[in-house]
Amino acid sequence: MTVFKGFLMLIKRNLAMFFLYFVLFIISCLMVQASMKEKGMDQFQETSLPIAVIDRDGGSLAKSLRDYLGEKHQLVEIRDDKKVIQENLFYRNIYYVATIPEGFERKYLEEGQKLQTTKVPGTVSAYFIDQQIDTFLNDVRILTQAGFSVEEAASEALRIGKMDTEVSIIDKSGHGGEMAPHANMFQFLPYLFLGTLCYIIGFVMIAYRKKDVRRRILCSSVSLKMQNVGLVAGFLVVGFGCWLFCMLIPVLVYRKDFLMDGNLPYYLLNSFTMMLVALALSFIVGILVENENVVNGVANVISLGMCFTCGVFVSMSVLSEGVRKAAHFLPVYWYETVNGIIGNNAELTTAQSAAVWKGLGIQVLFAAVFLSAGLAASKYKRQE
Amino acid sequence: MVTITNLVKRYGSLVALDHLNLEIEEGEIYGLLGPNGSGKTTAINCMLAILKYDKGNIRIMGREMSPDCYEVKKNIGVVMQNVAVFEQLSVWENVDYFCGLYVKDKKRRHELVEEAIQFVGLEDYRRMRPKKLSGGLLRRLNIACGIAHKPKLLIMDEPTVAVDPQSRNKILEGILELNRQGTTIIYTSHYMEEVEQICTKIAIMDHGRVLAIGTKEELKSMIKTGETITIEAAALSEEQLADLRGFPHVFQLTYEEQVLKLRLSGAKHNLVRILHYLEEQNVTFGRVFSELPTLNDVFLEITGKELRD
Repeated sequence: MTVFKGFLMLIKRNLAMFFLYFVLFIISCLMVQASMKEKGMDQFQETSLPIAVIDRDGGSLAKSLRDYLGEKHQLVEIRDDKKVIQENLFYRNIYYVATIPEGFERKYLEEGQKLQTTKVPGTVSAYFIDQQIDTFLNDVRILTQAGFSVEEAASEALRIGKMDTEVSIIDKSGHGGEMAPHANMFQFLPYLFLGTLCYIIGFVMIAYRKKDVRRRILCSSVSLKMQNVGLVAGFLVVGFGCWLFCMLIPVLVYRKDFLMDGNLPYYLLNSFTMMLVALALSFIVGILVENENVVNGVANVISLGMCFTCGVFVSMSVLSEGVRKAAHFLPVYWYETVNGIIGNNAELTTAQSAAVWKGLGIQVLFAAVFLSAGLAASKYKRQE
Repeated sequence: MVTITNLVKRYGSLVALDHLNLEIEEGEIYGLLGPNGSGKTTAINCMLAILKYDKGNIRIMGREMSPDCYEVKKNIGVVMQNVAVFEQLSVWENVDYFCGLYVKDKKRRHELVEEAIQFVGLEDYRRMRPKKLSGGLLRRLNIACGIAHKPKLLIMDEPTVAVDPQSRNKILEGILELNRQGTTIIYTSHYMEEVEQICTKIAIMDHGRVLAIGTKEELKSMIKTGETITIEAAALSEEQLADLRGFPHVFQLTYEEQVLKLRLSGAKHNLVRILHYLEEQNVTFGRVFSELPTLNDVFLEITGKELRD
């Protein structure tokens, strides 16, 4: 009991560092939440770009095309000058220029001549304008071939173009197609667990592992078994306490949204297994690191290193294929995979459910491997 | 209280303890004196069952000592060579923690902690962290952690290393007081003055063996040296040195850098006779020292080397 109480007393002395990590964690969460709100993907809106139409033909088809594009985008008047066009594109005053050449109406209807276009390189939206122009011109051609005059066909194509397309987003996550807000918070949780547990437990372990302190405890009337029980109990209480504290945040912040989430048990399990991984890693840190001044650095390298390579701070889609493959060998990757599945799907399919359990199992295995490695290192160090 | 029989401890080819035999009676302050590496700390670690030994037997309080001998361990206090405390706990918390390894009752423990803190004179530093204490105060804290549970046997492994004279005296006085209160103490040191000052029985060790055991008087009587006379004398001739060698009781003479050193077997009036001779010979001499034999002399005569070598 004394060993256990002493362990907790030393933990208490290092709580300041826990709160520092906690504040960083909260700030990260808030920043991500704010950026997610800005994106606002819960409503569909057609993209409208500033574009220019240079009409050298002056025919009715050209006029109708201009009107059609004017309905869809913001038309900007510019001079028909190559330099002026380039300058406007460079400064992004316009993203697209459609040049209707002289005699285009006849040449298009008879020979299928293409429209001359200039766009900002790499702009995805410009390709949609290409598609819109193709659709309009195709409609006109089909109608003229069916016997309509160019004016009639253009007018009809213009009418069709004005029709709104009904877009419905499949809301798989139950949050307007977005990841659940509490899932965003859970995304950052490994940083908090790894940072705080590696630092605090590493620090306490070093204090207990000091040769003379250890010898003094070994000389006492407390049995070795009870000493180990005290230390293990201390470990578990700290880990469980940290996890419980972190679980209070989504309960207090997201309340019903979190508590009524169908995937709540998975969130709890996933974060709990991550806590076990962090606890096992902190044990290794406590065994291998000799100097108290180095603990903070090691805790930072582990927490930040894993978080940056496993999709905590940076989306996995942004990372290179090599990094993503390497991340498979880190437990945080599996945590994030599970979090991604439960955060994006309100109801899990059989395959998703299997992937979740696989991720949880792998995390438990990682924890077991880290613990075994720590115990082996501990035995080796004692024999030194 | 403690009986060690034929204790052998090897580190590979190095024999750290070579058939060590010790018999420590209750109420003694038993000094283990020897240079660094003589096997003192190894012997203590074996006694505390934190180091396995190759051969021999250790009995403490009538029971054979083993790592799970918790009933015996309950009555043993340890003061390590290095300060063994938690840096992040205060003075009071440290003493309370280590006392708690022996005493479960909270009220009783708090009384003992308070007593220990007062005993070592750390009342004004209760809330301080070890980092803020001076070397001497740290040593006192180290002692308080070892004695708080009032052990019957206290093992102190060089508790005064790197301590200022004031703190050293305070520590030594404390050890004598503990002994008066009934604690048997095993005290290791390579400071012969300390051992001489407080120990009721002394074992001189070297190379893992006990070279001599006895009270300080018994040890000194074992050797030839009764007195050492040192005189700063200028330009002594070979004839004069030969005359001095021929003086009664002189069994060793050295003359280096104008310093004459004579070792004499126990007898009275040696100094008067020698100074009288120097005056007769018109030899100019400066400072004169006459010293009774020390434990260093004992060690020197037994091993042929100084204790501090």
